[in-house]
Amino acid sequence: MTTVAGPLAVEAGSVPGAVRFTPARATLVLGGLLALVLAAVGTAALLGEYPVDLLHALADPASADGRVLFGLRIPRAVLGALVGASLAASGSALQALLRNPLADPFVLGVSGGAALGATLALALGLQALAGPSLFAFLGAVAAMALVLAAGRARSSPYAALLTGVVFNAFAAAVITCIKTLLTPDRLGEVLYWLAGSLGYERPRTLLLGGALQLVALGVLWAESARLNLLSLGDEEASSLGVPVRRTRALVLLAASLSVAGAVALAGLVGFVGLIVPHLLRLWLGPDQRLLVPASALGGAAFLVLADALTRVLFPVFHAEPPVGVVTAVLGGPLFVWLLNRREQPA
Amino acid sequence: MTAPALRTAALAVGYGTRPVVSEVSLSVAPGTLWAVLGPNGSGKSTLLRTVLGLLRPLGGEVTLFGTPLARWERRALARRVAWVPQAFDGDAGFTGLELVLMGRAPHQGGWGLPGPRDLAVARAALVELGIAHLAGRVVSQLSGGERRLLLVARALAQEPALLLLDEPTAFLDLQHQAQVLERVRARVRAGLGAIAVLHDPNLAAAFADSVLLLRDGRVLGQGPSVELLDAERLGRLYGLGLAEARTEAGHRLFAPRGTP
Repeated sequence: MTTVAGPLAVEAGSVPGAVRFTPARATLVLGGLLALVLAAVGTAALLGEYPVDLLHALADPASADGRVLFGLRIPRAVLGALVGASLAASGSALQALLRNPLADPFVLGVSGGAALGATLALALGLQALAGPSLFAFLGAVAAMALVLAAGRARSSPYAALLTGVVFNAFAAAVITCIKTLLTPDRLGEVLYWLAGSLGYERPRTLLLGGALQLVALGVLWAESARLNLLSLGDEEASSLGVPVRRTRALVLLAASLSVAGAVALAGLVGFVGLIVPHLLRLWLGPDQRLLVPASALGGAAFLVLADALTRVLFPVFHAEPPVGVVTAVLGGPLFVWLLNRREQPA
Repeated sequence: MTAPALRTAALAVGYGTRPVVSEVSLSVAPGTLWAVLGPNGSGKSTLLRTVLGLLRPLGGEVTLFGTPLARWERRALARRVAWVPQAFDGDAGFTGLELVLMGRAPHQGGWGLPGPRDLAVARAALVELGIAHLAGRVVSQLSGGERRLLLVARALAQEPALLLLDEPTAFLDLQHQAQVLERVRARVRAGLGAIAVLHDPNLAAAFADSVLLLRDGRVLGQGPSVELLDAERLGRLYGLGLAEARTEAGHRLFAPRGTP
C-alpha cells in the first residue's frame, strides 16, 4: 500500500486565525471591553433626570451634584455592572457545559426559584430584613440544587435543562396562586420585583455582592479550559483527562451562586445571559477562556447601558421602566436575528 | 519484557447490569494493531469505552500498562491512551487546529495554553493525515469525513501509547480509509498499541496484525488475522455467505456471495 499524498504544501497552523485564543489577543479584547465598561459607567453616571455637573461634583463631593453622582448614580452603575457580568458569564459557561445554546441561567430554574422565594417573602411582609433578596437567593440556590441533582441522576445535558424548565413552570403556577391571594399594594411590589430592576443598594451590600461575583466568576474562568473540553461531550472530555463530574459540579455551583447573587440584587433581568455570550461568540469564537471574561465585561457594559436607557426614557413614560423590560424588548428581537444569522451557511 | 499496553481478563462489558459481551481476555502488545469485528450491537464500541474507563466493567479485569484501570488517574491515563469516538457531536464552532490542540490538554497545564511544542505536535498531526488545509476552517463547515480525520489527528496529537479507534473509517472515502489506517500502521510500527473497531473485513485483513471477533455476546475467535480471517469464519460472524478471493499480491478480499 502506498502513501497517499495530501495537500502537504499548506503549512498547518500558519493559517491566520486558526488558533483564536492567544494571550495577546485576549489582552487586547478584554482591555477593549474593560474600556467599554468604564465608558458605560461614565455615561450612566451622567445621564438622568437631574443634570450632574461633573467638575462641581468632583470638586465638592458633599454638594448635591456630588451626592447624586457618588451616592446614587455610581453605586447603581456598579450594581448594574455586577449583575450584567454575572448573568452573561454564567450564561456562557452554562451554554458550554450543557452543550445547549439556549441554556440561559434563567432557563435552568434559577428564575423560578428566585421568583418564588421573593414572592413568598413579599407576601409574608418580610421586606424589612432584606427579605425578598435573601429569599430569592435561597430560592435560586435551591432550584439549582434540584437541577444539579437531576443532572447527577443521568449525565444527559438535557436532563438539567428540562428539569429547569419544568421547575420554572411549577414555580410560575405557585406564584400565580400567591398573587391571587395578595392585596393590591403587595401585588404591585411583587410585580415590580419580578420585572427586574436596579435600584439603590447600600455600599456594604454591593461589596458583599461584588466579592461573591469575584469568587464565582473566578471559578468559572479558572475552569474555562476544561469547559472547552466538556463542550465536546462528557466522554470525549473524560478521554482527554478532564475530571468530568468534579468540573461539572464546580461550574454548576459557581454559576448558580453567581446568578442567585445577581437575582437577589436586581430581581429577574432576562436575556442578558443569552444575548451577550451569543453576540460575543460570533466575534470571538467558542473558546470559553476568552468567552467567559469577555461575556462578564460585555454583560456589565450592556446592562449598565440598558439601565441608563431606562432613565433616558423617564421623560417619555413619566416613570422608569424596569431594566428587565428593556433587556427583554432589546434582547428578544436581537436573539431571533442572531439565530437566523447563524443558520445561514457562512 | 514490558507489560502489554492492554490486558483484559474475563472482561464483561455492557450498559446497566446486562453484559453485551463477556469473557473477553485480550492482550495488546506495543507495536501491534488489533481489529475488532462483529455485527452491529455486538459490543465493539462498548468494549472500547470500558477499556477507557468511561463505562464500569460488569466483570473481569482491565489492566493498562501493568496498572489496573481503577488505579489510573484520569489525566495520567489521557497521556497514555487516546480515543477516536464514532462521531463528533461537540461544539462545531472551533477551528480544525483548535480541535486538534485539545489533544494536547492532558500534557498541558490546567489552562491549556499551547506551547511551541504543542503547536508543533498538533500541526504535525494535521500534516500526517494530509489535512493541513483544515487548520483554519471552522468545524461546522466541514463534512463528516473531514471531522473524523480531525478526530484522528487529535488522537495522534495526544501522543498516546495505546490508541482506541471506534470505526475510524466511517464517513471516509476509499482513499482516506486507506490513508488513516496507513498512518495508524506507521505509528504502530513505531511502537504504538492500537485497537480499531472496523466494519470492513478487507481493511482488517490489509492492516491488522490480530483480530477479535465478537458475536452473540461472546468471543467467536481471536488471534493473528492471517490465521483467523477466512470466508467461512467471517460468514459465521456476520451471518451471511461470503466469497473469498486473492489479489496477485496475495491480499485476501471478502465479499457477500449474493443470491445468483
